Amino acid sequence: MTETTEVPAPRQIFSTLALVLAIIFAGLMAYIVFAMGNEPEELVPEIKAGIRARLVIGGPGTGERPDFSRPLGAAIDDQGRIYVADTGNDRVCVFDPEGNFLFEFGGRGIAKPAPGIMATWEPGLMNSPAGIDVDENGDIYVADFRNDQIQVFDSEGKFLRRFPDPLEKVGRGASGYGGTGIAVTGIEVTDGHVYATDSYQVVVFTTNGEFVRQFGRPGTAATEMDRPNGLAVADDGTIYLADSNNNRVTALASDGTPRWVLGAPVFDLVEQVDNEFGLPRDTAISADNTILVIDAFRFEIVELDRSGKVLNRFGERGAEPGGFNFPNAIDVSDELVLVTDKGNNRVQLVELVGR
Amino acid sequence: MAKYTILCALLLTVFVAPAFGFDEMSPPTGRACSECHGLDVGETTLTVQSVRPRQGPHGGYTSGTQKCQTCHTIHNAPLGSIMLLPAPSIRDTCVTCHDGTGGKGVYGTLAARGVEATSGHRIEWTNLVPGGGSTGGAQAKTFLGMGGLLTCSDCHSPHGVDTVQPFTGDRIRVSAPQAFPTTAPEAVVKTDRLLKRRPTTATRSVDVYGSDWCAACHQGRLLASHPATNHPITSNPTNTAGVRYDWIRRVSAANTASTEWGTLGASNRGFVMPTQTVPPRQAPICQQCHEDPRSVGNDPARPQRISTLAGFNEEFRITAADGAVATDNPRFQMFPHESAVPRLLVEDFDSLCLNCHNP
Ligand code: HEC
Ligand code: HEC
Ligand code: HEC
Ligand code: HEC
Ligand code: HEC
Ligand code: HEC
Ligand code: HEC
Repeated sequence: MTETTEVPAPRQIFSTLALVLAIIFAGLMAYIVFAMGNEPEELVPEIKAGIRARLVIGGPGTGERPDFSRPLGAAIDDQGRIYVADTGNDRVCVFDPEGNFLFEFGGRGIAKPAPGIMATWEPGLMNSPAGIDVDENGDIYVADFRNDQIQVFDSEGKFLRRFPDPLEKVGRGASGYGGTGIAVTGIEVTDGHVYATDSYQVVVFTTNGEFVRQFGRPGTAATEMDRPNGLAVADDGTIYLADSNNNRVTALASDGTPRWVLGAPVFDLVEQVDNEFGLPRDTAISADNTILVIDAFRFEIVELDRSGKVLNRFGERGAEPGGFNFPNAIDVSDELVLVTDKGNNRVQLVELVGR
Repeated sequence: MAKYTILCALLLTVFVAPAFGFDEMSPPTGRACSECHGLDVGETTLTVQSVRPRQGPHGGYTSGTQKCQTCHTIHNAPLGSIMLLPAPSIRDTCVTCHDGTGGKGVYGTLAARGVEATSGHRIEWTNLVPGGGSTGGAQAKTFLGMGGLLTCSDCHSPHGVDTVQPFTGDRIRVSAPQAFPTTAPEAVVKTDRLLKRRPTTATRSVDVYGSDWCAACHQGRLLASHPATNHPITSNPTNTAGVRYDWIRRVSAANTASTEWGTLGASNRGFVMPTQTVPPRQAPICQQCHEDPRSVGNDPARPQRISTLAGFNEEFRITAADGAVATDNPRFQMFPHESAVPRLLVEDFDSLCLNCHNP
């Protein structure tokens, strides 16, 4: 310093101010880092809009990519093991019931490249995995969205098989790239069958990959669909479909016959009414045998009874534990509900406790 | 230290602004949005276009329509939302569907097919427009994204209101869902791609997509404003007779790579081709040099990559989530969002110039 003065100059006051701001900012950043950190959090079981967060998982917390990137899908098995389709990172991450990271598998592989580009897919590699589910043997089924196929892994993440062939037409056609394969968004494995959603229909395979049937076509009638993104299948075979862009949930018999529809398809109504859903993206069946619907645009879980009556709504928007930001998928194990909180780059295991 | 003061203040503002910008407004329930927001077309009023066949949540509104609520949360607009939209950013609202799971995939689609994007209009990333200044240099502008950054709704009207017409020879996109073999073909809907007649920062409204539309933001790239630094360009103000794009180098027949001079097909197979360089010649428009990458002309070093499966008079259709039938050329209709070629150019290197200039 070439010049000294005892009186605080305005500049110094600004520096002090800046320091204060910097401290506030640092605090804020620390909070954000804490709130979105990777370590499974020890949560003070605070209730937020009827939701008590039990676990918040932001990623494996180790390795080259410690954080999730826009995870779209997640599943929880009977033992409470958690499986996350980490869409932006083209991988699946597996956690124990306490949220400790166990292992990951996947990595980017492109099965249907643009003309002139080499295909890089090898068994086990993925391209924007969107949905995930586990069968009773612990085998893991991954909806490999951009590769237009489903891949199956054993409980250790070892590749077993894939179907359908992404270069072959499925049934009477599905919405895969180039008209072959199936652009799977949501997936549900039950009773030896795999139920998958693509842009306009539900396609059913056996767990070995044989094509069984398909139903649905573009449109707004009850038998039609518009970008369904997830489904759940009850013990009696009823399919509860999140018909996303039609803003509704449809209950379908196993052959696709509609049983009921809740929510209005997006076309003219005489009067503005309260719609049931903003953008329903997935469903699950709770331990109490109710249906849970995750709504990406309303940031909530809607609970329905089996006849399609709204029982409860849980959740609100937020970045703190229990808050959601564009939640996308939902799964259930006993009293615990697993939600992918895409906009917050995390998954949460929560309890629904009522408001 | 001053630098940090500003930085901190800025960062705080960025965090705090949405909170102040948020104004919870719950219109009375049971009333159609259109009662107050109107359905007539108007540039400056809060209006939405009346009945129009269109897929998806955009437009096709009638009075009493319920589509509004797909994107707008009416009663409990969540904390941090702007304009009653559920996302803190407009992008997040759009990409919830346009990541491919609920509408056409836009950003990221190239990468999903193994192609690296090297140029594009990055979303909520910058407010600096190259060629945005009237003398050709870059200029910072204020866009609709948070913090004034460029976002989807700067170019698109999510409501399908006040949109441009395609130009003659523009590629025609079809926004009908894929028809399954067993179902009747869906109605074919030609679209305006929801492009606003007045993109944000435009000083005047344009009726037709073309040079003048791009120049709404990139005014320094127009001949009229800066002849010394630009390739001659046809724009409406300099070409009152209208723009002609119907004399082009085109594929001469199905299943061949050879080309010939001729008139434009119904859609020109989705392309803007080179203009003739013999009289009556006409300077090109932006989209002749800037569009999805493709190989045109007969330069042996960069051979024709045009799909030759069908005749050139066919209507151009996009039938899958990311544009995928064999007749699509290019396979990825990603312009102007992302491109594998620098500067969003149709072709890189001299091959681009050689399409029109034969030395
Ligand atoms: C009773 C009349 C009325 C009804 C009904 C109404 N609005 Fe509005 N809306 C207004 C007014 C007035 C404004 C302007 C408020 C302002 O400028 O502060 C507005 C503003 C808005 C805005 C902009 C908010 C912002 O932050 O800039 C949106 C979005 C909107 N309305 C959506 C809707 C939707 C969707 C519906 C139907 C569910 C609807 N409105 C029904 C009167 C109404
Ligand atoms: C696809 C999503 C989407 C749908 C559907 C939608 N909006 Fe919007 N709306 C937006 C976005 C994004 C903005 C902010 C960007 C803009 O101003 O263009 C907006 C802005 C508005 C505004 C404020 C406009 C302004 O210039 O200040 C009003 C009013 C509005 N919407 C009303 C409606 C009404 C009424 C409907 C139904 C007829 C509707 N919106 C349907 C996405 C949507
Ligand atoms: C609820 C899902 C959804 C949301 C949210 C949404 N879109 Fe769309 N959008 C669609 C669908 C479905 C179509 C029909 C074509 C297709 O398959 O993409 C479409 C079509 C379009 C088109 C092409 C229109 C045409 O005529 O060819 C544009 C442009 C577009 N959307 C922009 C936007 C922008 C910008 C936003 C954010 C304000 C947005 N969309 C939000 C579902 C959505
Ligand atoms: C709403 C304003 C707006 C409109 C309209 C617009 N641009 Fe841009 N353009 C921008 C901005 C902002 C950038 C800087 C983007 C970035 O850095 O990611 C840009 C960047 C570019 C670039 C450089 C891209 C690169 O990666 O080097 C090109 C080339 C370009 N624009 C061409 C066009 C053309 C051609 C059109 C008409 C089809 C157009 N732009 C329409 C705002 C606009
Ligand atoms: C710089 C302006 C600009 C911005 C920013 C922009 N778009 Fe576009 N978009 C366009 C233009 C121009 C087209 C039509 C291109 C053509 O058909 O040649 C288009 C086309 C589309 C289409 C139709 C694609 C098809 O295959 O039919 C969709 C969907 C779309 N945009 C969505 C978006 C979304 C979502 C965002 C933000 C994440 C966005 N756009 C940002 C200019 C823009
Ligand atoms: C004759 C072909 C041609 C035409 C027509 C053309 N451009 Fe370009 N443009 C280019 C080339 C080549 C470059 C790359 C120059 C470079 O990187 O130095 C470029 C670069 C750009 C850039 C990024 C670099 C910068 O500094 O501006 C923008 C933005 C752009 N053009 C916009 C436009 C717009 C807007 C139009 C129409 C008004 C247009 N161009 C018409 C060939 C063309
Ligand atoms: C789409 C066709 C097309 C492409 C591509 C094209 N040009 Fe041109 N260019 C023209 C036409 C047509 C003229 C004549 C305009 C006129 O006579 O007013 C022209 C004129 C010129 C001129 C003379 C300018 C003047 O003021 O007289 C130069 C120099 C030139 N082009 C260079 C290039 C370069 C370099 C490239 C590659 C980056 C290129 N052009 C790409 C069509 C094209």
